[in-house]
Amino acid sequence: MSEPINIDPILEWPVFGLSQEEKSQWLLVALKNLTNWHDKRCPEYHSVLSKIKNAENMDSISDLPFLPVRLFKSQKLLSIPYSDVIKIMTSSGTSGQNVSQIFLDKKTSSMQVKILSKIVSSFIGPQRLPMLVIDCRATIVNRFKFSARTAGILGFSIFGHDVEFALDDDMTINLDRVSRFLEKYTDQDILLFGFTFIVWQHWIRYLEDVSIKVPIRNGILMHGGGWKQLQSQAVSPNEFKYRLKSVSEISRIHNYYGMVEQTGSIFIECEEGNLHTSSWSEIIIRNPTDFKVMPKGGVGLIQLLSVIPHSYPGHSLLSEDEGEIIGVDGCSCGRLGTYFRVYGRIQNAEVRGCSDTYSR
Amino acid sequence: MAVAVEDWVRTLGFMDVYRMLKLGDAVIHIPDNISKRMKIFVGDLTLISNRPVEIFTDERIQFLATLSSTLFKLPQVRSLPDVSTFAYWSRKSNLLRLRELSKSKSKFKMGLGLSFHICPSNVPINFAFSMAFGLLAGNTCVIRLPTKESPTISTLIEAILNVLSIPEYADIKSEILIARFLRDDEVNKFWLSVADCKIVWGGDDTVNHFRSLPSQPRSREVAFPDRYSLCILNPSEVNLLDNGGLKKLTLNLFNDIYLMDQAACSSPQLIVWIGEDEEVRSAKMRLWPALVEIVADRYELKPVHAVDKYVEACNIAINNERAISVECSGNLLYRIELSSISVEQDKYRGYFGTVHEITLRSMDELSPMVNERYQTITYFGFMPNIIRNVIASQKLRGIDRVVPVGAAIDMGLFWDGYDIVTSLSREIVFQ
Repeated sequence: MSEPINIDPILEWPVFGLSQEEKSQWLLVALKNLTNWHDKRCPEYHSVLSKIKNAENMDSISDLPFLPVRLFKSQKLLSIPYSDVIKIMTSSGTSGQNVSQIFLDKKTSSMQVKILSKIVSSFIGPQRLPMLVIDCRATIVNRFKFSARTAGILGFSIFGHDVEFALDDDMTINLDRVSRFLEKYTDQDILLFGFTFIVWQHWIRYLEDVSIKVPIRNGILMHGGGWKQLQSQAVSPNEFKYRLKSVSEISRIHNYYGMVEQTGSIFIECEEGNLHTSSWSEIIIRNPTDFKVMPKGGVGLIQLLSVIPHSYPGHSLLSEDEGEIIGVDGCSCGRLGTYFRVYGRIQNAEVRGCSDTYSR
Repeated sequence: MAVAVEDWVRTLGFMDVYRMLKLGDAVIHIPDNISKRMKIFVGDLTLISNRPVEIFTDERIQFLATLSSTLFKLPQVRSLPDVSTFAYWSRKSNLLRLRELSKSKSKFKMGLGLSFHICPSNVPINFAFSMAFGLLAGNTCVIRLPTKESPTISTLIEAILNVLSIPEYADIKSEILIARFLRDDEVNKFWLSVADCKIVWGGDDTVNHFRSLPSQPRSREVAFPDRYSLCILNPSEVNLLDNGGLKKLTLNLFNDIYLMDQAACSSPQLIVWIGEDEEVRSAKMRLWPALVEIVADRYELKPVHAVDKYVEACNIAINNERAISVECSGNLLYRIELSSISVEQDKYRGYFGTVHEITLRSMDELSPMVNERYQTITYFGFMPNIIRNVIASQKLRGIDRVVPVGAAIDMGLFWDGYDIVTSLSREIVFQ
């Protein structure tokens, strides 16, 4: 069965209000339909499913096939006619890699926006907030240079009004501009957004170095994207929060986890420091070597499932990030669903081969 | 009588000068801007000479044999199969056997002078083999290590330094230089300008790159570019094996495929069954589960490599129309079943246990596919002369080695179609 899927009822699900029992039934039906839909419409996806021996039946979510997220770097995968593509999203690969290309049609793109805003609003409230981006304006001007950062900033801008950039193009804080912005909004919540390593390097560390405090008591920081090239400087989530609090008095700090290959399916860190799956997504932890489902408490590769991707076969993806499920429906923050932690990329080794002898 | 330290140092200094005088113009003068860019692990930049000796001298055989016994005494060798393979190869009795094979009483062969080695990162141990080949052929050796660190290399360096500290090998200090330097054509050009031969391990690009740089007019080259290897199995012989025989065969296959993560050019990429479908089917059902059992027991698949394998398998499922199915066996062994062979087969290379697999009726059917890139055939259940007849009658441009399953990655003096000692030495004629 691969009839166009009616998504309206799906959007009515409560963001974090479905119990595991209810959610897994819903999701299994929706994700099975999506698997069949892509199998019929994306020849490349069909090749993978038919040639690589996976589970014969789809009795539970963990039986569903998954694509490795890196496949979008080498293949153009679409389940729609090319003429229906309204947007192509790219991920920034590290230097020398291909970039992922994700093809969106109107339906998938609008679902991304709707679900993303439901999830984020549940954390910051339904109103648009004045927004301060901890980055420079050049990031959204020069779209070729910073595509992941660009996409993140533009994506989150839908939750902001009067969007201001805290950094100049040389990545230093423009204190005048920041002060003017903060003076305008002394008595309401302010949304701050930035990439983890940028907030760390160009906000926290910079303010520490110049011994200046910029208090933003009413700030809510959303940050994500990990440490990228700054892996050597990475600090624990607690230290990050503590030092941000020291320089800016911000206590509402939410890390988020997500990837361009599954935009809209965002996982936000709650007050307890756990990342949460919404009603529209699920997480499975797999053993990194045999891809079997890990028992509870095991650390392994994160598989991400989402009901959003219709225009491309990205509803079930095996990432290269390692994480651990902390629990299901039991987080003290009160949100239902699977909650988990991410520990970073798997150790990346060079692929050896005859041809790399003289590289570098 | 105690000797004052200063006097002792003076004596040592004098000995160095004396050594320089003894070697005279044999010592290569290395400009500062070149030596500054080299990180030296073994040898002395002020001493390296270009004076050759006869092939297979007693002194060099003894040096390599001592290196062999030194390696066997190091505790970490147990966990480094490639190092023990080299140590086993360079034991004295084997080197004497090789001398018998290579050296005839009626011929007089000397090295060429200075050999310059560009060593590969995919098979780290090959720098040691390369050095041994250069030494046995009578040359001094300047060796560029791969940039990538590896326990194999550090273990070897440690052992070589140990042996060189023994007084009787003092002369060899001016005959070996082992260094790392970045991809730097200034340094390459300098060494090529003084080298009498170069040994280049690596991909086609590396070989072509070094060919594009000027060398001495009489300089020789031994080049080891990208190669592709396959394994030929006789299904009826597999079906006849008892459990002991099956275990031995799977262990041998394991060594061929997994010991070097399949990155060695001689590791099989393609498994060819020669026979009827029915007997092949039952042979597969016997062989592959037994192999996977051994892999599970002896091979540590890193998470990133499991993901790499899966990504590649998806790419092959999509891009290769001849790939019918991919069997994954818990990610330990990926087998890609092919419907037919193609002339492009050598473009499909797997790592960490990914093989392509095909059933053919006769060996002759291989000939359209085999080009000059094909290196090693490992065989099981056939007489090698059958393969020899195929190579001759089909006039194949490729295949330089035909060895039983289990011997794929055994390095030797005859490699890639070269008789290496002959290639790196000169025969002097007396009448």
